[in-house]
Amino acid sequence: MARASILRRTIATPLILSALLLGFALIAWASGSRPFNQTVIDIFLQVILVVGLYTFIGNSGVISFGHIAFACLGGYVAAWTTIKPMMKGIAMPGLPDWLMQMEIPYWAAALAGGAFAAFWALVFGAVLMRLSGIAASIATFAMLAMVNAIYSNWSSVTAATSSVVGIPIVRSIWPYLIAAILAVFVAWAFSVSRFGLALRAAREEPTAAAASGVNIPRVRLIAFVISGAIMGAGGALYAHSIGIVTPDTFYLGLTFTTLSMLVVGGMGSLSGAVLGVLILSSLIQVLRWLEAGVQVGTGTFALPGGVQEIALGAVMILILMFRPAGIMGNSELTGRRARAEKPGEPGHA
Amino acid sequence: MQVVFDALSLGSLYALGALGIALIFGVMRLVNFAHGDVIAFCVFALLWPSVDAVAIVFAGNLPWFLLIPFTLAVGAGLSVLSEALVFRRFRRANPATMMIASFALGFVIRYFLLMLFSSRPKSISLLPGLSQPVEILGARIPLLQVITILVTLAVLVGLTAFLRRTRFGLEMRAAAENFTMARMLGVRANRVIMGAFALSGALAGAIALILGSQTGTANIMMGASVMLMAFIATVIGGMGSLAGAVIAGFALGAVATVMQVVLPPDARAFRDAFVYGAVILVLIFRPQGLLAARGTKERV
Amino acid sequence: MSLLALSNVSVRYGRLTAVRGVSFTLAEGEVLFVTGPNGAGKSSLLRAIAGVTPPAGGRIDFADHDITGRAPEDIARLGFSMVPEGREVFGSLTIEENLLVGTGMHASTRGWRARAASELEAVYATFPVLKERRHSQAGLLSGGQQQMLVIGRALMTTPRLVAIDEPSLGLAPNVTDQVYERLIALRAERRLTLLIVEQSSTRAMMVGGRMMLMRGGEIVLDGDARALGQSEAMHAAYFGYGEH
Repeated sequence: MARASILRRTIATPLILSALLLGFALIAWASGSRPFNQTVIDIFLQVILVVGLYTFIGNSGVISFGHIAFACLGGYVAAWTTIKPMMKGIAMPGLPDWLMQMEIPYWAAALAGGAFAAFWALVFGAVLMRLSGIAASIATFAMLAMVNAIYSNWSSVTAATSSVVGIPIVRSIWPYLIAAILAVFVAWAFSVSRFGLALRAAREEPTAAAASGVNIPRVRLIAFVISGAIMGAGGALYAHSIGIVTPDTFYLGLTFTTLSMLVVGGMGSLSGAVLGVLILSSLIQVLRWLEAGVQVGTGTFALPGGVQEIALGAVMILILMFRPAGIMGNSELTGRRARAEKPGEPGHA
Repeated sequence: MQVVFDALSLGSLYALGALGIALIFGVMRLVNFAHGDVIAFCVFALLWPSVDAVAIVFAGNLPWFLLIPFTLAVGAGLSVLSEALVFRRFRRANPATMMIASFALGFVIRYFLLMLFSSRPKSISLLPGLSQPVEILGARIPLLQVITILVTLAVLVGLTAFLRRTRFGLEMRAAAENFTMARMLGVRANRVIMGAFALSGALAGAIALILGSQTGTANIMMGASVMLMAFIATVIGGMGSLAGAVIAGFALGAVATVMQVVLPPDARAFRDAFVYGAVILVLIFRPQGLLAARGTKERV
Repeated sequence: MSLLALSNVSVRYGRLTAVRGVSFTLAEGEVLFVTGPNGAGKSSLLRAIAGVTPPAGGRIDFADHDITGRAPEDIARLGFSMVPEGREVFGSLTIEENLLVGTGMHASTRGWRARAASELEAVYATFPVLKERRHSQAGLLSGGQQQMLVIGRALMTTPRLVAIDEPSLGLAPNVTDQVYERLIALRAERRLTLLIVEQSSTRAMMVGGRMMLMRGGEIVLDGDARALGQSEAMHAAYFGYGEH
């Protein structure tokens, strides 16, 4: 009974967010412009990754710096399973035979990437989820560095730091749209599930939740695995959007962008995760455009490279200063004004 | 013998880094992710902005007795500036918020360097006299390693004396243990925090000098790996415990060096991965760190 | 001339109001006990005066300065010394170091050592047990010794007013007696003003002085400790009969 009512009350959120994403896709489709198409694909990929990040951080309240490691695992799964066997033989001669011969479609690679990442999330998580607070955050950072160190050096199966090329590129926006919408629904379903609710309760009142019999590490682990799966699938699709992977594609830079999107949108809110992506992506786009140079009168005006990240960092710091709970706070878009306008948590600042 | 010196000099770097992080964590519960970028900034402060592959050494040409204070001052200055502009506004924020803010600040610093110098590593020669070897107990050890170790020891002794013998050091230790109580005894919060940031920044400057002369390159990412190890050392040492951070830093250096020797050649490339893995295991069994400090439990 | 004056001070934690509209004045040399049941707002009141939790409303004056919303260190520097609940010794510092933390604020760096030394002698004279163990870690002291240490530490700042939150908490009665004995002696020696928070009024009645009773964040009674302690009104107010 209660379950059904929770579902009914909250289903509006993923529906609204999906409609928003669909809107973007339709604009891109209608415009027919290639670069714009690519931009929208990038946005959908970011949505997947940030929603994956939210599934863990938003529900558990533990900051993770390590989730991009799962995207890295997923991205390389795509490389292992979809590149033509002949090319694989040259770049990554150490792959086992069955993997060497494998050539599956991109969507199957995304699923495999998600599954592979989920498996490793289970392994890492079983260990990491017993930590909490700052120690947990630093340990996730160590996990990211560890995965990066392995993938940067294991030349026979990852081609070390050189780019792995030849991943079939998927240029249509629809697969990415579907994946982003799926990610939103999975994240929503988890956060209203028994586990999600327990985890959020534990985030607010750890002692009370522990006393009421919630096994926090176990519930956190579930969130970690689900978010790892989303990140893995996102990483695989990321690989398919550009056709290349390197270990550093999935390292500090992407960690920074995804985390800043989540922080700006609001770490405790699924709507915040999606809106954060949309807002910061627009900002990044404008800055990229300015970095490329704009015609002003007779001369061109161009910002030096790096301004993009600096601006992103500054926005992130300002948001943390003045609205630490992000744009959305802990509330969601529900279509009902009263809740949507509920102010965020009182600031700490 | 060579191994011992390798371990000690690597450990010195980690210990200095860990100390810089632990100092700030102690007084304001901030895990400063920007520390590594302060290190990189100090190296680049010696160069003239350019995007060429060969660095135009600017301040780096100073004689050593000016070069060292200059670099330390740059580190301290940047660190104090970041406190005044950014972290001061997060005094009442929770540790997670501060941690993300420092992460963002680190990126701002890193991309500021990228804007001026591009992301290509540059070769520089700092204190070139130090690369010649010296003979110690039958082993040929690069002079630089010996100096690194001596400098670290000097820094540690100096810092200990400062913390134990001076009024400011006493106030800092008191503030690290119980900030509010220290303030109720008239200890000036801003001064103590500024002091911690200045010291931490100067330590970053020292690392920058060592790293710059050791590797002969300037790279905007160069602080990142030292910083990560330094973080790990602070966690293992029990967050906020200065002695713990130093001991853990040396221990990490030793583990990394020993692994380099002991691991089969195929696995050597994964040395860092093994170290990180070992750290995660340590955290599982001792989440408070191996040498948890009394009274510095994380404020939840 | 009053040393401390509060007018209409309130303290809030989020939505919770801990102190509502409290006003009183305290003259130099006076002893004031603030008593009341758990959750009456006594500790919050002290924390507001000390600047740890800035008041949400009202005004606090201390030693001819408006200290409303000032930083704790500034208030301490005016001569307000606080001994918070739960003692809060610096456990990893030695006893002597604990005592020295608060001495930095009045002296220049050069004059510090000499000045601190004379203050130290005075505190050691009052609490000889601290001198015996001066180089051991403060975290290793017993509860009673820690209480003496924090009172000594508060005195090292040469304060005009010492505010103590529950000095008897967790102490054996005879140790509490000792602590109070010292406090009373100190007050006579140094013309100290004392502001003492205690849950029960028994101690106040033994020591004498002025007593205020707080309940629900407000002052409900204010008068001579011995007279109030024996009155019916006191019991009624403490336990809340016949109110609201």
